[in-house]
Amino acid sequence: MLAMKDAPNSTEPDFHLEDDANDHQDFQLESPEVISTPDTDVPQGELFLPLDNPESPQDNQQLEIQGFEKPVYAVAVEGIEKPLAFHYASNLLESLEAQGVQLPYQCREGYCGGCRTDLIEGEVAYLQEPMAWINEGEILPCCCVPKTELKLKLKG
Amino acid sequence: MAYQTFNRNTFDTFSQPMFFGEHVNVSRYDTQKYKIFEQLIEKQLSFFWRPEEVDLSTDRKDFANLPEHEKHIFLSNLKYQTLLDSIQGRSPNVALLPIVSLPELETWIETWSFSETIHSRSYTHIIRNVISDPAAVFDDIVTNEYITKRAESVTKYYDDLIEGVTYYQNLGEGQHEVNGEIIDINLRDLKRKLYLTVASVNVLEAIRFYVSFACSFAFAERATMEGNAKIIKLIARDEALHLTGTQHMLQIWAMGKDDPEMGEITKECREEVIQIFREAAEQEKEWAEYLFKDGSMIGLNKDILCQYVEYICNQRLTAIGLETIFPTKQNPLPWINAWLVSDNVQVAPQEAEISSYLVGAIDSALSLEDFSDIEL
Repeated sequence: MLAMKDAPNSTEPDFHLEDDANDHQDFQLESPEVISTPDTDVPQGELFLPLDNPESPQDNQQLEIQGFEKPVYAVAVEGIEKPLAFHYASNLLESLEAQGVQLPYQCREGYCGGCRTDLIEGEVAYLQEPMAWINEGEILPCCCVPKTELKLKLKG
Repeated sequence: MAYQTFNRNTFDTFSQPMFFGEHVNVSRYDTQKYKIFEQLIEKQLSFFWRPEEVDLSTDRKDFANLPEHEKHIFLSNLKYQTLLDSIQGRSPNVALLPIVSLPELETWIETWSFSETIHSRSYTHIIRNVISDPAAVFDDIVTNEYITKRAESVTKYYDDLIEGVTYYQNLGEGQHEVNGEIIDINLRDLKRKLYLTVASVNVLEAIRFYVSFACSFAFAERATMEGNAKIIKLIARDEALHLTGTQHMLQIWAMGKDDPEMGEITKECREEVIQIFREAAEQEKEWAEYLFKDGSMIGLNKDILCQYVEYICNQRLTAIGLETIFPTKQNPLPWINAWLVSDNVQVAPQEAEISSYLVGAIDSALSLEDFSDIEL
């Protein structure tokens, strides 16, 4: 098609790529019609947020060990009066989010440090070694679980 | 102290500071002074991606349909991102490699800078796909006064350090006459330049980049230019890691064990670093004004972006142990978190949760009749 555009108007063209050679236009990269996207194609930003409630026991995948009660730790967040508890979630960040506490986050696996929070009282255990820098008295809720009752203060 | 590509001295790696110690010789990673840099390298390598993996054909159509003022916002933002990654793709190498003293840190700097070159390549990929004349966009980066003004404050610390280190390595410490000018080179002053450089890189990666990410994601939040957002999401994932890298350097210095002088310099430069943050925030606000000069877009305007600048600035200040300087406490763009979340960045369509790829691929419903023609 492109070659045809600059070809001189001979009475007998050597070849036709298409039936009507005069009807050509600059080539297009995409087809004129919009390719249909699946109905379930939700915006990317929302695609991966957990659909279920991590603090609700039904959807939890954790191993239940017979004869042991799963401990519940009270979590107090400064400025939030509602009593909060860590029970079933797989990390502290998920647990807090499930109970309506908004924390900043980015990587959710310990390397960005976005969810840095002050730990006023209590102790946590890290599920994986966090890569982000943590100042003294700070924790990364995205990759830890409580070992005791906690008292937290959100940043900002 | 001329640079040696392979230092013949025998020395104990563990007794070397991060910078301005012995030049590195063997690139060995079996023993490490700071294993965090090795972890960063591994993480960065696991993030490897190529811009061409992201399909931008719908973005081309989306862009054509944007109103003029939004085209201006999109392209200006892209120009700014191109500038930042052009700088970051080379400067850490040029400025930091000649003075680094630990093999794991040296390799981290190279890995870090390399990933920035992928970002630069992805801007070309975006620009080439979205508009027909990429040269017009690239050429404007060096002439547009709004962009060059900020390029100046991003690069001045790098250039200052590079110049000082060049003199130091050629002439050593002391007073020298160069081209009729007396220059005074001392190591302490160079360390100060190094500290300010890393602090300003921290600002670049922690604030400036995030302001530009916010603009990219604001388009995608309206379901337009989504391929672009997908690329920016991959870039944001890398940048979060680079940010962790510079935060570690700054904090290791602050503790003073690595190099006691750097500990002192951290204290001395406190006000100056806060000033770098403040200046960057001011420039980003001016930039917001330029971006939205012809009109706002749905979901983002000058005021909201300025609030975001203040919010992110406060956050980054506390991360390196400094006090906040703005009253803004709440994130004015809460939806940005969902875009920045990076544990689930997917590139190949077959990996994404697009149901059409799965429908009909495997029929998992089985009945006994399905086995009727199987004989044992």
